[in-house]
Amino acid sequence: MASDNQPTILVFACNWCSYAGADLAGVSRLEMPPHCRVVRVMCSARVRPEFVIAALSRGLDGVVVLGCHPGDCHYSEGNYYTRRRALLLKGLLEHVGIEPERFQLRWISASEGAKFAQTITEITGEIEALGPNGRKQPLPER
Amino acid sequence: MKTIKKSHLAEWLNTVAQGYDLFGPALDGVVQFKRVESSDQLVFDYANSVVPPKNLFLPQTECLFAFRREGGSIILEPSGGLERERVLFGIRPCDARSLLLLDKVFNGDLEDTYYQEKRRGTTLVGLACPSPPQRTCFCTSMGIDPLSPEGVDILLTDLGDRYLVEVTTEKGEELVEGLFLPSAEGEKPKGEKGKSLEGIEEKISSLWEDEYWRELSRRCLGCGICTYLCPTCRCFDLTDVGSTLGGKRFRCWDSCMFADFTRMASGVNPRPTGKERVRQRYFDKFSYFPEQYGVLGCVGCGRCSQYCPVGIDIRTIINEVMARGAK
Amino acid sequence: MEQELREIVRKLLQEGAIEYFIGYAEGVEPLHTTPCFIEREEQVQALIWSPLCPYNLARYLHQMKNEAGKVGLVVKGCDARAIVELVKGNQIQRERVVVVGVPCQGQVDLAKLEEAFQGVEAVEGKGDTFLVTVGEKVHRVEKERLWREKCFSCKHPISFEYDFVLGEMSPLLLARGSESEFAMVEELERLSVEERRAFWRAQFERCIRCYACRDICYACYCQECIFESRAPRWLEKITTPLDNQTYHLIRAWHMVGRCIDCGECERVCPMSIPLRLLYKKVEKEVEQLFDYEAGMRVEEVPPLVTFQVDDLDLVTQESS
Repeated sequence: MASDNQPTILVFACNWCSYAGADLAGVSRLEMPPHCRVVRVMCSARVRPEFVIAALSRGLDGVVVLGCHPGDCHYSEGNYYTRRRALLLKGLLEHVGIEPERFQLRWISASEGAKFAQTITEITGEIEALGPNGRKQPLPER
Repeated sequence: MKTIKKSHLAEWLNTVAQGYDLFGPALDGVVQFKRVESSDQLVFDYANSVVPPKNLFLPQTECLFAFRREGGSIILEPSGGLERERVLFGIRPCDARSLLLLDKVFNGDLEDTYYQEKRRGTTLVGLACPSPPQRTCFCTSMGIDPLSPEGVDILLTDLGDRYLVEVTTEKGEELVEGLFLPSAEGEKPKGEKGKSLEGIEEKISSLWEDEYWRELSRRCLGCGICTYLCPTCRCFDLTDVGSTLGGKRFRCWDSCMFADFTRMASGVNPRPTGKERVRQRYFDKFSYFPEQYGVLGCVGCGRCSQYCPVGIDIRTIINEVMARGAK
Repeated sequence: MEQELREIVRKLLQEGAIEYFIGYAEGVEPLHTTPCFIEREEQVQALIWSPLCPYNLARYLHQMKNEAGKVGLVVKGCDARAIVELVKGNQIQRERVVVVGVPCQGQVDLAKLEEAFQGVEAVEGKGDTFLVTVGEKVHRVEKERLWREKCFSCKHPISFEYDFVLGEMSPLLLARGSESEFAMVEELERLSVEERRAFWRAQFERCIRCYACRDICYACYCQECIFESRAPRWLEKITTPLDNQTYHLIRAWHMVGRCIDCGECERVCPMSIPLRLLYKKVEKEVEQLFDYEAGMRVEEVPPLVTFQVDDLDLVTQESS
């Protein structure tokens, strides 16, 4: 997991838009902090809120979901569902005392390499500022 | 007879808390036996805890050992034992009996070192039960005297402005050593007799095929409340948490009421429906346990009846078995 | 009312209209009731109705999937919402259920009752009071003093069609000077993130993972519960703060758009965890963001299986 104050952030990127955007950022040699672990999904709607809950409960410092801009989803409607889920999930997480910055949703298209880099940098900074996720509990000794 | 004024009890307990880890009934949402720093964290106006004190000897979550990979070998680190001797204050006679029953399982032919170490390192100061009993109590029908020091090292009985102090073991003597307990007149109140459950083992056995268990299972949700809150229920699961690089092995409570309790890797489940599971639970208490250990496996604390989400009452079941079972 | 109920059930059984009827029966002690399954006419006498019948009997409709024939049951207003949702979720067909509606005017919280009176023998509802019998005396108590918390924000499903109604079906008399049903959620919203974290941490720490909240819930009908799954394994059986939090958050998530605030989860929790306070938050968001309340009308589409193109967008902070 994270050492010192270095965060570990899980990023779900949809195959058709945001993952392609991530590739573009890479190919363009854009610099960004290395703390994000990117997982490719076919659509942002593949991300079950249980993933986010389990990740944050286990001590990951942040979870980011990246999808196509509304209206541009490769599967027409996926990201509309993602949008609703994220809205409600955020409310629930905030209710139990998980800082809102730890779960974020962004729209990034395939041509937005710079935006990808900028988003990752921005979010990493926000999460780093929060400190390690208070959820990281040492397992009980006895 | 030794007695201690109620006003002096707090002082005594505070002294105890200096040399031992003191556990007693404390309010944390509900009454629980917790570690306290001083006696003013304790409550005295309670019938019994929600979670029984078995939790102090067979904890719900217990780390057995840690493991890690080093070079080509695996290093095991056993978890540390008790750091200090413990005193459990406020245990009721039903729960004290339950520890004697659990001893037969964990301290008998099979030696559970984790359980044994905690038992050895804990002095039990019991609190006799007030009268009338809580509506769900029926310890007397299980052959338990709510005023008896059986199973504890010291028993306190409420006499109004003071407690009667009965010290029955060496461990108990050690705890009151140096404590000035003026001998005073103290008359022990008399207890009541409960119902006789003679023959319940044969009677319940005769009802193996009876429809009664299916009827019960219709109401039963299959949650874990009755088992987790039962002082004699003792099933557990082992689980490793970590990764291939290292982690910990835990023992944690499990419940025979859960649907997947007996489900095997093949998917086959010898107790496939609620009927088999409900039946098994009562057979364990009134048939299997006495068959194996010679004494009934229930202590009449009534927690299962008190907290069952749908109001299933073990007394109804016992009465039904006694009425309809064949000897 | 009890007589009327028994007559209805007797007739249904005589006509063979139902296989069995799910109702309330007396428990072992006065004031305690238990669900009952009536299959034969001789058993009908056991049926009762009182302000001490908290069980949401719709929970027992889950087994209908494995049975043939029709089932009858008695429901309060809150329970009827569960039937609407079960129909929506394709768990039952409305035609297979014979629903007897009882005009519940609020349920008694036993803890509040026992605090106010010792040795209560019976409780009856009368108008806007409860009649509490202690020995020879009958005390008249304002309902608000003894109501379960959830009764203060009672909602009847607007267009539910009962097959039978005992007496006059009327919505619950609203509490005098009632505050917003989301008041307790709003109170928590005013705290800081850290304060809320500390609050819930203390609650979840007490959890013994008995799963009673899940098992009593009408909405938990998955064949294999997510928490029983071994591949993937979402949480361990150990009761660490981490696993406890995962359990409660996932369950809260699964209740989005489905919780009808019947309050059973909170009633059955042996460790007094304020579960209604947890699920109420999402209920509030769902109502305020999507104008949706679970269990009101069968035709309404649950919020998570649909969308609007102009939904509020978290990212742009706009509703396009």
